[in-house]
Amino acid sequence: MNAHPAAEPLLIINGRVLDPASGRDETADVAIEGGTVRAIGPNLDRSPAARVLNAEGCLITPGLIDPHVHLREPGQTHKEDIASGTAAAVSGGFTTVCCMPNTAPAIDTPEMVAMVAARAREVAACRVFVVACGTQGRKGERPAEIGLCATAGAVGISDDGDVIASAAMMRAVLAETARAELAFMQHAQEPTLTVGAAMHAGSVSGALGLGGWPREAEELIVERDIRLNRAIGCRYHVQHISSGGTVEIIRRARSEGQPVSGEASPHHLHLTHDTCNGYNTLAKMNPPLRERTDVDTLRAGVADGTITVLATDHAPHTAEEKSAAFADAPFGIIGLETAFPLYAEALVHTGAIGWPRLIELMTVEPAKLCNLIARGLGTLSVGGPADVTVIDPDLAWRFTEAECAGKSTNSPFLGRSLRGRAITTVVGGVVRTERERAFART
Amino acid sequence: MTRSPDTTRATKAGRSPAPDGVRTPTTNVWHGADLLGTRGVPAERLRELLTLARARRESPAKSLAGRTVATVFFEDSTRTRSSFTIAAQRCGADVVDLSSKASSANKGESLADTARVIEAMGVAAIVVRTSRAGGAKMAADAVACPVINAGDGAHEHPTQALADALALDDAWNLAGSFDFGGKRIVIVGDLSHSRVARSNAASLTTLGAEVVFVGPPAMAPRSLGGALGVRVSHDLDAELAEADAVMALRIQLERGAGAMLASSRDYRSAYGVTQARADAMKPGALVMHPGPMNRGVEMDPAVADGPRSIVIRQVAAGVAVRVAALEAVIGSTAGNA
Repeated sequence: MNAHPAAEPLLIINGRVLDPASGRDETADVAIEGGTVRAIGPNLDRSPAARVLNAEGCLITPGLIDPHVHLREPGQTHKEDIASGTAAAVSGGFTTVCCMPNTAPAIDTPEMVAMVAARAREVAACRVFVVACGTQGRKGERPAEIGLCATAGAVGISDDGDVIASAAMMRAVLAETARAELAFMQHAQEPTLTVGAAMHAGSVSGALGLGGWPREAEELIVERDIRLNRAIGCRYHVQHISSGGTVEIIRRARSEGQPVSGEASPHHLHLTHDTCNGYNTLAKMNPPLRERTDVDTLRAGVADGTITVLATDHAPHTAEEKSAAFADAPFGIIGLETAFPLYAEALVHTGAIGWPRLIELMTVEPAKLCNLIARGLGTLSVGGPADVTVIDPDLAWRFTEAECAGKSTNSPFLGRSLRGRAITTVVGGVVRTERERAFART
Repeated sequence: MTRSPDTTRATKAGRSPAPDGVRTPTTNVWHGADLLGTRGVPAERLRELLTLARARRESPAKSLAGRTVATVFFEDSTRTRSSFTIAAQRCGADVVDLSSKASSANKGESLADTARVIEAMGVAAIVVRTSRAGGAKMAADAVACPVINAGDGAHEHPTQALADALALDDAWNLAGSFDFGGKRIVIVGDLSHSRVARSNAASLTTLGAEVVFVGPPAMAPRSLGGALGVRVSHDLDAELAEADAVMALRIQLERGAGAMLASSRDYRSAYGVTQARADAMKPGALVMHPGPMNRGVEMDPAVADGPRSIVIRQVAAGVAVRVAALEAVIGSTAGNA
């Protein structure tokens, strides 16, 4: 994190302190000093030195964690960089992000892991942890130095953006990832079923004359990996689940006690392939937006505990890149600023889960996935890091390009009215986001 | 960015409809509009174009004298480009061809840029073909002058579908009613990758016909039927018995879904319009092919040249509908471009 204003004494008062890791759910205050949490409890002493924020009506949560973002640095900094991507993160209430290694060059050596981490310490507005490649150059041909990358600080292994297509290579990578005690995060896409694919294979692709990406392409890889992993026991995590069938496969594996998890993204919890009509490239993503049944199954999967992690897959692309013909435009959308209200709308306002579970899915669960618990992240504990997010769950706002803190604005949610927003994001005791209500001297 | 599925637009935004008093009454609706597809176009508008095509075939008019039409083909085409060129010349227009196969020009942004540059040169309309679905719409969004889609990827090829409708009206002696109620038309081939099939499914259905897609499952997935409002079958023999016309599409064995085919003889055995299959059709039933044809694969030579075939009539009808399309979208305002 960069050398922003130094950590100062802060007091956040009268909010609903929601810390799923400890089970705390009460109206209370949180006192912060020297970058750590000094005290949590009702009616804390208002030290005259502290700036005070009245969080009445708000949730006070551990800093939110997004285990799947693309910061595009190095190599694609016209789309985003560590500084701009983490600016978007803290704007959305995130205090920790895990960045994917599909940069140019790819993050596939311990030197690259260390370099990105060092760069983040200089310029980032929040904590950045690095996910390293499973194979060299993400080519799927030779394993990357997984053990060395872990030692250098990598918190997960993934060739995200591409699948590891070869079963033999996948087995080797799972074994190495298990040895490094990390989770392997799979971008599940059987390549021969998705040649020329631009969107979900269905009625809309049929009408638009675009190549289809069938559900089976995701499900086959997940089935294969789970079978391969039985003899290995690596923690296996399915990224950005798009198909209802994948939810069922993961549900079955978990019921058998397999170390399998999965994540849902805001767009897959909301949108369907109809959004692609008119060749809307802002709806082009990989894996693609599918059908209402998939959206409903994903929501049900979150509700019943099959899906334990929420992740944006924040994927910035420039307007020029997205203005290409649908078949040529890059896959992906940004997601950090809109994540919280979209999760809330899909999951809490529908009654699928309550606030405590939502916060759990955005804090302690991704912290477990990425080995961040030992670093004190994902929870609010006295003496632990002062990563705190204050959320007004009822704040109504409209998402526009002006609200995008990052470099790119590629979102199909532009123009949408949203409910709920982080009003304060504190990272290591430093206030990184302050809106609607400000800290004040008493 | 989204737009209604209607593939024509009456008049582009920010543009006055037409100079007062110079519009031909028959082309009011189309004037200044793009012709990007047939899907979502109401029957009366299709019939308006087709009626104009018939009328101009009888009495050609130099209605576009002094105007310039640009043909911009980013994908190989001999027949469609020639057909548009002849049609434009028949209307008295000048034609400039800016075709290029350069792959970079196939990409979206440069497609929009290319369209803008050509418009700036002062053309009255742009005829565009691209390998990208949605490419014609991108060009149309970029310019104020009307755009005619001469094929965009696997999406639409509206003038081919209109040509087929005109040829069918002639062959069925409907005298320009373009009412295909009660007719059943089978389209056989690689439906997944066919813009001709998509445009025909829309226009023929709108004009009252029942359309059935027939092909191997890899080329005619069931989901396509729901997408396009047609029935899908994998049994050509069963469908031909009741068909009033069968349209065979070109099979590209070397790529796309064709790579999933065992051989051309295997395809022909199940889906070729062979002499035996043609013989089994109803009396008077027609055989069509938009070309170019793999003789002996999707259609036997004797069938293509036989009494049921209207293949050559389709080509002639193509010029007629392109005359009408150009005149309609540009408007016959003799003189200034």
